[in-house]
Amino acid sequence: MTVTFALGAFVLSVAMAGISFFTTRHFLVSDREHTAVHEAFLNATYVSQHVAAGTTVLQTLATVTPHAPSLLEERGTAWYSGSNRITQDSIPTSLRSMVITHGTAASQTYVSGDGHVSIAVGWPVKSVHGAYFEIFDIEDLAHTLRVLELALFGAGAVTTVLGAVLGRWASGRSLRPLAGVSRAAVAVAGGELGTRLVSTAGDPDLAGLTSSFNRMVDQLQERIEREARFTSDVSHELRSPLTTLGASLEVLEAQSGSLSPSGRRALELLSADVRRFQRMVGDLLEISRSDSGSAEVSLEEVDPGELVRRAVAAAHRSLPAGTPPPPVEVDPRVRGTHLWVDKRRFERVISNLLENASLYGGGATAVRVSPGDDARRCVRVSVEDAGPGLPPAERTRVFERFYRGHAAFRRGAGTGTGLGLALVAEHVRLHGGRVWAEEADGGGARFTVELPGRAATVLDDEVPEDEPPGCGVAP
Amino acid sequence: MGSRILVVEDDERIRSSMRLALEGEGYEIDEASSGEEALEQFSGHPADVALIDLMLPGMDGFECCRALRRQSAVPIIIVTARADTHDVVAGLEAGADDYVTKPFVTKELGARIRALLRRVRPVDDEPTVLAFGDLELVPEEGVLRRSDGTEVHCTKTEFRLLCELASSPNKVLSREQLLDRVWGYDYFGDGRLVDVHIRRLRTKVEPDPALPRHILTVRGMGYKLVP
Repeated sequence: MTVTFALGAFVLSVAMAGISFFTTRHFLVSDREHTAVHEAFLNATYVSQHVAAGTTVLQTLATVTPHAPSLLEERGTAWYSGSNRITQDSIPTSLRSMVITHGTAASQTYVSGDGHVSIAVGWPVKSVHGAYFEIFDIEDLAHTLRVLELALFGAGAVTTVLGAVLGRWASGRSLRPLAGVSRAAVAVAGGELGTRLVSTAGDPDLAGLTSSFNRMVDQLQERIEREARFTSDVSHELRSPLTTLGASLEVLEAQSGSLSPSGRRALELLSADVRRFQRMVGDLLEISRSDSGSAEVSLEEVDPGELVRRAVAAAHRSLPAGTPPPPVEVDPRVRGTHLWVDKRRFERVISNLLENASLYGGGATAVRVSPGDDARRCVRVSVEDAGPGLPPAERTRVFERFYRGHAAFRRGAGTGTGLGLALVAEHVRLHGGRVWAEEADGGGARFTVELPGRAATVLDDEVPEDEPPGCGVAP
Repeated sequence: MGSRILVVEDDERIRSSMRLALEGEGYEIDEASSGEEALEQFSGHPADVALIDLMLPGMDGFECCRALRRQSAVPIIIVTARADTHDVVAGLEAGADDYVTKPFVTKELGARIRALLRRVRPVDDEPTVLAFGDLELVPEEGVLRRSDGTEVHCTKTEFRLLCELASSPNKVLSREQLLDRVWGYDYFGDGRLVDVHIRRLRTKVEPDPALPRHILTVRGMGYKLVP
């Protein structure tokens, strides 16, 4: 758009400058030519009469030429010059032959020997059987034209630049509404379903686009919310019976000693699956809140190293007994960087990753806290296992809900909820971070969570405030 | 005789299973199927801990909490379906001391109840009187008094929290420390418990709760008490 405008302005200014230059030049030159021809005619007539009356040619010539040097040719051989500045050679040959041979008056513009632009005019003079020539120096005119040329060139350049600027402004102005639509579409695609376009008065085309876009997002939002509400309602309704089931099972478990071995085994199966069912319902409820955008995130400022150590310790307690706790390695460069996290969600992220490693990778071998490699002071937390690793094709898909990859048939795989990694992705997304899976150095899987960090805040001691530190709702 | 727990829950099956499970832990149970019934039960036969479901027909759990709090400092645990909503904060502001989410594990609930009951009893190694501003705290008696002798009513949890802050004056205590010492939670306990209780305490001990002079927030770190 900018280039088009600049090009347009350039072509237009070249055309305009060209036309004005050539018109002006033509006008000025022909005017001067006209004058010159006329003056030369008067002088030629004067010379002709005087020579006819007996005055010598040179005397006659000396009395004319108030403006221009003149020259008389007599009978094709003798030349009389009224000025020592010109000789017969100063007259262009073509003009000379035209006037002398054909006997017609003629004029010619040419560049004279001294580099000046001049007009030579020739008139046949019958009385001397020759011709009268006069040379008019129009260097002043040429100079004016050169100045004009320069001025027009400058104006053309300015117009081109102005055209480019105008083009940029106009394209910005006319495309701005479309840029808004594009931004809104990106926001909606990114999950911000509350995004709407502000209707602008004036442009009917745009108003139509705005209202259809908003209607589309309305419908999309309604559908997504309905779905999320349904999941939420179902999970919610399941909680009451699950509470009863859980509490009753605990009563039975407390008295399992009085059951037969097969009864005890049945009770074990029952309680294991009720727990899994409870977790699944909890996870579904959590994910549906995230989907409907009603998830509340309460952020607190924490030290990443301590947070991870605590989370690993807490998560480890809920893993099957006998699993050794993975070592936590904290890169010293992370020191001084603080994270704003929802601790409950972060704990779930770590425990889900550890559980995932335990179910599919033979248990986590290391948990590393390291700085991200960008300027946002990101902090990375990686959980590694020594399992078979993930085939590249599954590295993104593992974060899908209820995804069952090649590891689905591994021992213990049936005890997961199928939502663990999907929830990890959701929690991380709510924190403005990202998570990915890759191959660990030893060939196992490595899951890395990257959260945006910041420098430790300066402590302002005496700030009394009603709201607690760092209790807020994330975007 | 075990401690008496009032279970306020409209779902009969949940109520019965809770009775069974909590009786297994050695508690005596009073059941109420509505807020109104709970208040009636409580005035006739005060319990040591009240367990209130927030979703009740008629008088809801929040109102039941407030009504109960008006007549007693009894520890209240609210039972909520969701931990990450405003319900928890609203319940705590209505006077609850702690919360559990459905479906809960009875062992976890038992631990919460024990923490609340333990806190009611004074700890031996505390100094006899803690003073700040024009207030004095007598941990042994569980009493908070103004210098003119009038008593300031607060719940056991508020009192315990105030004791923790007052026993280390000018020292910043993190929310995690307070959660651990007052509620018996670990690092991942809900910081909102502390925040709401601090807010409640300020309305009782600060001359201007909006501009606290004694219980100060230390941004990014926690809270401290300035005498």
